[in-house]
Amino acid sequence: MARNPRPPGSASKGTIRVLPLPLAIGLAAGGAAVLICAFVGLFLDGPEFGQERRVEAMLGIGAVLVAALISRTQHRCTITRPMAMSMFVTAWVGSTVVAMLAFWLSGELATLSDGLFEAVSASSTTGLTTVSDPQELSHALRLLRVLLPWCTGIGVLIVSMGVLPAAIAGVELTPIMRLHGTRKLVRTPRQAVLTISGLYIVLTVAVVVGFLLAGMGPFDAVTYGLSVSSTSGMSNHADSLGHFDSVWVDAVATGGMIAAGGNLLVVWWALRGAWGSVWRSTELRLYAGLLCAGFISVYLGGSGLSAESSAFSVASMMSTTGLRSGDWASAGAFPQTVLLILAGLGAMAGSAGSGFRLARVARVALEVRRRLQELLNPARISILRMDGVAVDEASLQRTFGYLWMHAFTLASVAVLVNTTELDIVGTASFAVAIVSNAGVYVDNGTITSTVHLSSWSETIGMLGMLFGRLSIYPVLLTAAGVGRWLSRRRFRRSAIPRSGLVS
Amino acid sequence: MAVETSFSSVGDSAFRAGQLMLERRASRRQADGFHAPSRRVRSTVAHISGLALLAVAPGLAVSSIVELVGGGDAAWSLLLCAGLFAGLGLSMWSGTRLGDLAPRTVFASVAWSWLLVSVLGALPYVLGRTFAQPGISRWVELADAVFESVSGYTCTGSTVLTTLPDLDDPAPTVGDGVLFYRQLTQWYGGMGFVQLVITVLPALGTQAMGFIGAEAPGPSTDRLAPRAAESARILWKLYIGATAVIAIGYVVAGMALWDAVNHSLTTAPTGGFSTYNDSLGEFDSLPIEIWAMIAMTFGGANYALHWSFLTRDRRVYQRDHEFRSYVAMLAVAAIAITAMLWAGGEVGGLPASLRAATFNVVSLGSSTGFGNAQGAGTPGDIVVWSASPLVIVLLLMFVGGMSGSTAGGSKVIRSRILVAISHRTVAVARQPRAVVPVKLGGDVVRETVVGRVAVFMMAYLALIVGGLLVVTALGGDLDASLAGVVGSLGNMGPAFGEAGPTSTFQTAFPTPARLVLAFLMIAGRLELFAVLLMFAAPRRAIRRLKPHRHTF
Repeated sequence: MARNPRPPGSASKGTIRVLPLPLAIGLAAGGAAVLICAFVGLFLDGPEFGQERRVEAMLGIGAVLVAALISRTQHRCTITRPMAMSMFVTAWVGSTVVAMLAFWLSGELATLSDGLFEAVSASSTTGLTTVSDPQELSHALRLLRVLLPWCTGIGVLIVSMGVLPAAIAGVELTPIMRLHGTRKLVRTPRQAVLTISGLYIVLTVAVVVGFLLAGMGPFDAVTYGLSVSSTSGMSNHADSLGHFDSVWVDAVATGGMIAAGGNLLVVWWALRGAWGSVWRSTELRLYAGLLCAGFISVYLGGSGLSAESSAFSVASMMSTTGLRSGDWASAGAFPQTVLLILAGLGAMAGSAGSGFRLARVARVALEVRRRLQELLNPARISILRMDGVAVDEASLQRTFGYLWMHAFTLASVAVLVNTTELDIVGTASFAVAIVSNAGVYVDNGTITSTVHLSSWSETIGMLGMLFGRLSIYPVLLTAAGVGRWLSRRRFRRSAIPRSGLVS
Repeated sequence: MAVETSFSSVGDSAFRAGQLMLERRASRRQADGFHAPSRRVRSTVAHISGLALLAVAPGLAVSSIVELVGGGDAAWSLLLCAGLFAGLGLSMWSGTRLGDLAPRTVFASVAWSWLLVSVLGALPYVLGRTFAQPGISRWVELADAVFESVSGYTCTGSTVLTTLPDLDDPAPTVGDGVLFYRQLTQWYGGMGFVQLVITVLPALGTQAMGFIGAEAPGPSTDRLAPRAAESARILWKLYIGATAVIAIGYVVAGMALWDAVNHSLTTAPTGGFSTYNDSLGEFDSLPIEIWAMIAMTFGGANYALHWSFLTRDRRVYQRDHEFRSYVAMLAVAAIAITAMLWAGGEVGGLPASLRAATFNVVSLGSSTGFGNAQGAGTPGDIVVWSASPLVIVLLLMFVGGMSGSTAGGSKVIRSRILVAISHRTVAVARQPRAVVPVKLGGDVVRETVVGRVAVFMMAYLALIVGGLLVVTALGGDLDASLAGVVGSLGNMGPAFGEAGPTSTFQTAFPTPARLVLAFLMIAGRLELFAVLLMFAAPRRAIRRLKPHRHTF
C-alpha cells in the first residue's frame, strides 16, 4: 500500500509514538504515591480502613505494573517541541488518573467526579477541594492529597528546568536558566536535575522540621510541609493553618511559602555565596519588591489583619499556595484586590508556584517601558535587556502571546463557570484561584478552598487548573496533535477501499 | 502642507469656521511668500485650547436660551459661562500662534485642551449649584461638577446627578437649559473625538497614527477626503445628519420632541446621558429601545464606513472585517446572556431575557451606557444578573466599539489583533522555525503595528489594574470598582454594584475615587498615549530650564 511521504519525526505521528514512556512515568509516579499512602494508612488508620488500604495498595502495584508494560511500547525518534510538551501532559494525566481511582475506590469521596476533581486539584498543585472537612478523611487520603502535588511539583521543575532545555534547543517553558549575564546556573542537565531535586527535598525537610519545632504533630507537620514546599495549599483542616492559631506555625509557613515561590536555582546560587549575581536578578528583585509592597498594602491598607497574618496572606497568594490563616476577604476591598492581583501575577519561574510568572511580568513591564520611551523620543533606538542579556524580538512576542492566552483563559473560566452561587467578585477570584492554581477564592465574603459547584462548573474548573499548571501551550498542542491524529486515522479508514487494492 | 496639517489638528474643537479662515490665510501667506514677524506667543497648546473653548461657547449660549424659555433659574449663569468661554477662548486663540507641530506636541495639546474644556465645563454646574445638596460641602460639589463635565466631554455617561426628573413626577430640580448643556457636552465630545481620529491623525502622518494606536489596516486610517478641511466638513455633515435622523426616529418611535432631541444628542456620540433617572427605561417602550439599539450600533461603528456606504460602496459593511467582528461580538454576547438569564430565571421568561440582554449588550458594547431598567431590580438592571453575564458585560466594556467611531474601549480591531497574536504564538510554539505573520481579514499586519498594539493593550491593562488598586484604596467596593474602572477607561457609563444603571456614582465611590475615575475617562478617551505626552512636554520644558553641565 502506497503511503503519503512524511518527514521523519513529524509532529502528529511522532507525538503518539513517543507518548507511552511519559504515560508510564506518570502511572508509575501515581502508583508509587498511592502505594506509599496505602502503607502509611495501614499503620495510622487502623484496621477499620484495612480493606480500603489493601485496595489502594493493589491499585498502586497495578499502576506500576501497567507502567512497566506500557513503557516497552515506546518508539525511539527525534523529540520535537510539540512532542515534548505532549509528553509532559501525558505524564501528568497518567498520575492524575491513578490518583482519581485511588480517591474513588477509597469510598470516602461521594462520586467519581469528586475523585477526579480532587485528583486534578492535587496534581495541578491548586488546593481546591470538594471535601468540607478534610479531618474526616483517612490519613492515607490526606497524605495522598499532599504527596501527589509534591511529586507533580518536583516533576514540573525537573522537566521544565532540567530535561526540556537540554532535550530541545530554545525551549522556554521556564525562561530563567541563566542568571545575570551569560552566567549559567548549572552546567549540565544532570546537574540541574540533581540540584533541583536536592533543593526541593531540603526545603521540604526544613519546613517539616520547622513545623515540628513550632508545635505541630508529626503527621500534620509532614503533610503541611509537603503542601507548603509544593505550593499546593492542600490542608488537613477546614480552616487550614488557622486551625493551629499559632504565630510560630504561621511564621514557618510564611518562610516556607516565600522560599517555595522563589526560583530554586537562585537559592542554590545564594547558598554558594554569589550574592551579587543573585541580587542583580530582575525577577528576584521584583519578587522581593512585590512581597514587601503587598505586605505594606495589606497591613496598612485598612485590612485589620495582624502583621503576621498580613505577611502570611501575601506569601500564600503570591506563591500561589493558598493556605489560609486569617480571613482577608472580610478585611476590605483593597487588601482583596492586592492579594488577588498578586495571585494572578504568580511566583517566580523555576519554582513550583504557578500564575503568570514574574519573569514574564518583568519582561513585559520592561518592554512597555522601552516602547513608551521610544514614543516620547522617536529618534531613540533601544534594545531590551534583562539581567544583562538582550531579549530577542521573537521571545518577546511569545511572552506577549502567552500573556493574552493567559488572560483569555481567565476570562473564559469566569464566563463558563456560570454559577448563580457566586457574585462577580467570587467569580473573578475563583477564576484566579483556578488558572493561577492558587486554590483559594472569595465565597460570599469569606475565603474558602471548598468547592460546592455544579458538575459543569467543576469540569470547567478542572480544565482551568490543567491549563494554568501546564502553561497552556502543552495542553493546546497535545489536544491539536491528538485531534489531528484521530482525524487522519478516520480519513485513512474511509479512504481505503474494502478490497484493499490501492495502486 | 505643514500649516494645513496644523490647522486640521484643531479638529477636536469642532470649530470649522476658524479652521477654514486660518487655512485660507495660511495659503494666502504662503502664496505671497509673506512671513511677517508676529508678536503673538508661540504656544500650540494655548492656541488649540482657545479654539476648543470658542467652539463650546455657542452651545452654552443656546443652553441659556433653553433655560430661559424653560423658566429655570440658571439662565444667567449659563450666559455668563458662554461669555467667559468666548472671551477666554478668543484671547487664547488670538493671543497665541501655533508653535511646534510635531505629532507629540499636537497630541499633548489636544489632551490639554480636552482637560481644560472638561474642567472649565464644570463652571455652569458650579454657578447653577446643580449638585448642591444638604450636607455636601462646596468641595464635593465642585468635584461632582468636574466629574459630570469630564464624563460628558469624554462621552462616558457616568453620572453623579441624583436629581433628574421622572415622567411620573415631572418636577425637576435641574433646569432644562442645564440638562440640555449636559447632553450637549457629549455631543461636542463625540464630534471632537471623531474629528481627531479621522481627520487629524491621517493628516499628521504615520507617526501620529503610531501615537494613537489606530494603526491597523482598514478604513479607520483612510482619509475621507484629500484635504483635512474637506474631511472635517464631511464629518460635520455626517454627524449632524446622524443626530437629526436619530432624533426623528425617536419621535416616530413615540418620544416627545424635547426628549428626542436630548437623547439623540447623546446617542449619536455613544455618550449615554439621559434626562431621566431610569434612562431609556423611563419610557418602557420597545420601539424606542429598538431604535436606540440601531442608533447605538451605528454610533459605535466607524464613521468612515458610514461615509463610504452613503457615497461610494453599498457593500462596505459586509466587506469590512472589523465591522463584521463588531456585529458578531454583539450578537454572540446577546445570545449568550439571553440564554444565561433565561436558564437562570433571574429576569423572567425568554422575551424579558432577550430584551434585557440585547439592549444592555448593544448599549455597553457600543460604549453608550443607556439603561432600559424600569427601576432597581427590574429585568434591565444588570446589577441583579448573575456573575457570568456580568463577566461578559465586563469583557464587552473592555473591548468597546470600532476604531474611527465615538465609542470607547480598547477597540475591536485591537482585540482582533490580540487574537491573531495568540494564534501565532501557538503556531510558533508548534513549529519554532516557522515565520507566521499576523493576518487580519487576509491582510498581513506589519510587525511594528503588532508590537504597538501589544504594548498599548498592556498599558491599558496596567492602567486598569493600577486604577483598581487606587479606587479600592480610596474606599470603593471591589465589584463596583472593577466595573467602574473598566467602564471609565472605556468611556462606558454604568458600573456594577451600587453604581449600576439605576443609581449613580455618588453613592458607590468616595469623592477622591470619583476624581480618579474622571482621570481614567480622559486617559481612555485620548487613548492613553496622548495623556502620557501631556506630561512629557512639561517635563522636557523643566529639563531645559536646568543649567547645563559644562564639559571641558
